[in-house]
Amino acid sequence: MIGSPDVIIVGGGVIGCGVAYELAKRSVQVALIDKTLPGRATSASAGGLWPVGESVGLGCGVIYHNTMAAQHESDKNENAVENVSGLVILPEIFRKFLQNSNRLFPELSQELFELTGVDIEYEPGAGLLYLIYQEQDFKLTDQLKQLLPNMDGLTVLSPEETWKIEPHLTRDLIGAVLLPGEYQVNPMLLAEAFKRGAIELGATCHHDVHVDGLERRGDRVTGVNIDGQQVFCGAVVNAAGCWSARLAATAELSLPVFPVRGQIVLTESLPHTLNACLSTNGCYLVQKAHGEVLIGSTTENVGFDTSVTVEAMQSLVEGSVRAVPLLKHVGIKRIWSGLRPGTPDELPVLGPVDEVSGYFNATGGFRTGIVASPLTARVVAQCVLSEETEFERTPFLAARFGNQVGSPIQPGK
Amino acid sequence: MNRRQVVIVGAGPAGMAAAVTLCREGVLPTVIDENPQSGGQIYRQPRNASQQSGSNEVLKDTRGNQLHRQFQQCREQIEHLSDNTVWGIYSHRQVACNGPDGCQMFAADHLLLATGAYEYVCPFPGWTLPGVMTPGAAQSVVKSHGVRPGKTAIVAGTGPFLLVVALQLHNAGVKVAAIVETARRRDLWRHCPGLFWDLAMFAEGAGYMRRIRQAGIPMMWGQVVTCAEGNDAVAAAVVAPCNEEGVADPGQARTIPVDTLCVAYGFVPRFELAQLAGCEMEYREAMGGWIPKMDSHLATSIPGVWVAGDGGGVAGAIVAQLEGTLAGLAIANSLGRLDTATFQNRYRKLSRQLAKMHRFREALDRVYQVREGLTKLATENTIVCRCEELSCAEVDAGIESGGTRSRTLKVMTRLGMGPCQGRMCWPAMARRIARKTHQRVEEVGQFSFRPPTQPICLGDLLADNQTLSQLTDRPTVIEKSVKNQTL
Repeated sequence: MIGSPDVIIVGGGVIGCGVAYELAKRSVQVALIDKTLPGRATSASAGGLWPVGESVGLGCGVIYHNTMAAQHESDKNENAVENVSGLVILPEIFRKFLQNSNRLFPELSQELFELTGVDIEYEPGAGLLYLIYQEQDFKLTDQLKQLLPNMDGLTVLSPEETWKIEPHLTRDLIGAVLLPGEYQVNPMLLAEAFKRGAIELGATCHHDVHVDGLERRGDRVTGVNIDGQQVFCGAVVNAAGCWSARLAATAELSLPVFPVRGQIVLTESLPHTLNACLSTNGCYLVQKAHGEVLIGSTTENVGFDTSVTVEAMQSLVEGSVRAVPLLKHVGIKRIWSGLRPGTPDELPVLGPVDEVSGYFNATGGFRTGIVASPLTARVVAQCVLSEETEFERTPFLAARFGNQVGSPIQPGK
Repeated sequence: MNRRQVVIVGAGPAGMAAAVTLCREGVLPTVIDENPQSGGQIYRQPRNASQQSGSNEVLKDTRGNQLHRQFQQCREQIEHLSDNTVWGIYSHRQVACNGPDGCQMFAADHLLLATGAYEYVCPFPGWTLPGVMTPGAAQSVVKSHGVRPGKTAIVAGTGPFLLVVALQLHNAGVKVAAIVETARRRDLWRHCPGLFWDLAMFAEGAGYMRRIRQAGIPMMWGQVVTCAEGNDAVAAAVVAPCNEEGVADPGQARTIPVDTLCVAYGFVPRFELAQLAGCEMEYREAMGGWIPKMDSHLATSIPGVWVAGDGGGVAGAIVAQLEGTLAGLAIANSLGRLDTATFQNRYRKLSRQLAKMHRFREALDRVYQVREGLTKLATENTIVCRCEELSCAEVDAGIESGGTRSRTLKVMTRLGMGPCQGRMCWPAMARRIARKTHQRVEEVGQFSFRPPTQPICLGDLLADNQTLSQLTDRPTVIEKSVKNQTL
């Protein structure tokens, strides 16, 4: 029923759907194969488009780095990170990648809406606000200004200026950092729109189909195995998210991608309350298009366990009520978790590998998968077609890990 | 962590019977229930004695009264957390609940889910008007608050429960204009032999029919309420005859003025906690839909998680009570409080009774089956998802553009994304998708529930106003001497 398409994409999250769309646009016959497993990161994403925020650790990265620092502390590791305030800068090349990708959204949302009728709820708001509760965090903003001298619009706000943008914020804050141009989107609708767009352009989509493994002959991946049947194709794209290492392993390829759990809390729908995306050192908050406030997120290295924990709920709730006190009396609609595809250096793994031909990675999106998806999709499609990529791909190739990989690597170590 | 040996969720017939059984075997159970008093929906007690609508109550609930008495006798041994809603089940049988004492979390060695069922509602034009409610809601209003829901009512849908509610409304002083039953009288005759499997139950049903006649309530077989009319509230119900599939014939419709319209088409197991606990599920049309897979001792696929009563398949209060007893014995046995020989002995007796009841039930289910034509009642503008205010046309558009599975339809249309998580809309919508896309209902898929399954506020989870870590473990077994007092 799948036939023998030019390209098989394994994984129907935002990345797989995006690659399917970009390939279908280039008249490639694509089959997208998806098996819904609990924990897919696209369904548990806030949909934050925070390229600078994430690459300097002011988005959900604050929580990530706090978690890592706490882990180091408890491990009594000598190399413990000194800076617990959360400023960890990712390579500049990755920040540029995210910024370029982010710039694609206005046009992309229009294009997808015209093609599919799906509105991805791209919402330009006030930007990303990082709330400052204590004096020492101002050091962080100074550091930031030094690191990003050309960063337009990065502003340090007084409490009064902050409340002007966001009147419902706590009176406890002593300032904030505003990153303009950092907005949000509905991640599930983005994936759906990519998928529908791909189908509209001739791709086929196969739901609830489990790929047992890759078919490798010598130094070539020739297809995939489904239910003991071989399905041949010109190339396979591994977009299996946190499960991508398992898929790669079936072709004896090592890929250091591991699940990093994030728990999130979603409130009931509220009238328009928040103008900006909010980040604090305890949680981030985003009000979605239908009025719900999404509160994220933990960063936990617990394998493929998708359960949620009381401790996490409490810490997220405390962080959010501290930032926006009126939330205390607001109802919770859902609490759930997703498994981000993490990598040791927090950068995605894209493009071809040295060991085999006919195989391409499109994985490792970790906490920036949504914002990175438009450009990721294009770059991977260009790799598959051996075209010149519109963004330098070398920093994202699996080859950067050398041969030392294989088993999941502890994040932060 | 608050460890408990046995946590029972639900104090209806199944939960009460299990609690009583466990107490008699010397195990102290914790019973968590959302109502102020035990009894569940079927054996619901009035909030206080003066509200007893039944000085002229014809229906002496003897089974219910007996169970209430037994439960009362064990109240010293039972930790009964009333007014507490369970809103989540986490790994290792952790039960999260919220009540007057705030949020609490219990880790149970054994968890018995006796959550019961909710009513199957099928959207039709006008069903969101005030005055339209489920028979169960009308029953609650009369039974716990002693309040009449209106002056003139129609009780409609399918199943013997309609008779019970019609009589309760009648006895509370409501004029019941008609009982509108989708099943046709000939369906009853055709499956009549099967109903002889349980003569006592058959006689009980016949008794209800007799009292309905005596009360002068017209019984309209083979008819369906197609529409509720009214501006600010329901003023009339449109009733039309239907065929075997439940498809109404609008040509023969007639309008009956009412201010209360009670409609439901049987019951759907309340399975969301079992799903959250990770239990393997299966689809059984005759049992009301998705239910957890269980072995003959009512154990689910998750060790230490048991299910009894309608939550494991709709079969009514008597079966629920038997299953509750069985689950109680099985738990006592696995705790080593009841030797296996005795357990096997009592299990055989119970399973014979259950088998008899199930054969009766099968015949009853064939009479009162959920008919496919009911999914055609909704018109374009009928709201089908009340939480998200989605019209039937919007959902149909979602189905047509590829939302043929629960997950994709949810993402596309937001169906079931509201606070009820699809409890209200999904059973009917799953059938509608199945009909439109020529799939079986089980292929459309189940809805995945996420905590909280009952409303809680962010403030409820704040560490300073809750008791999550302060409670201590309670003793889990009592001495045999205490146990015998209750027998």
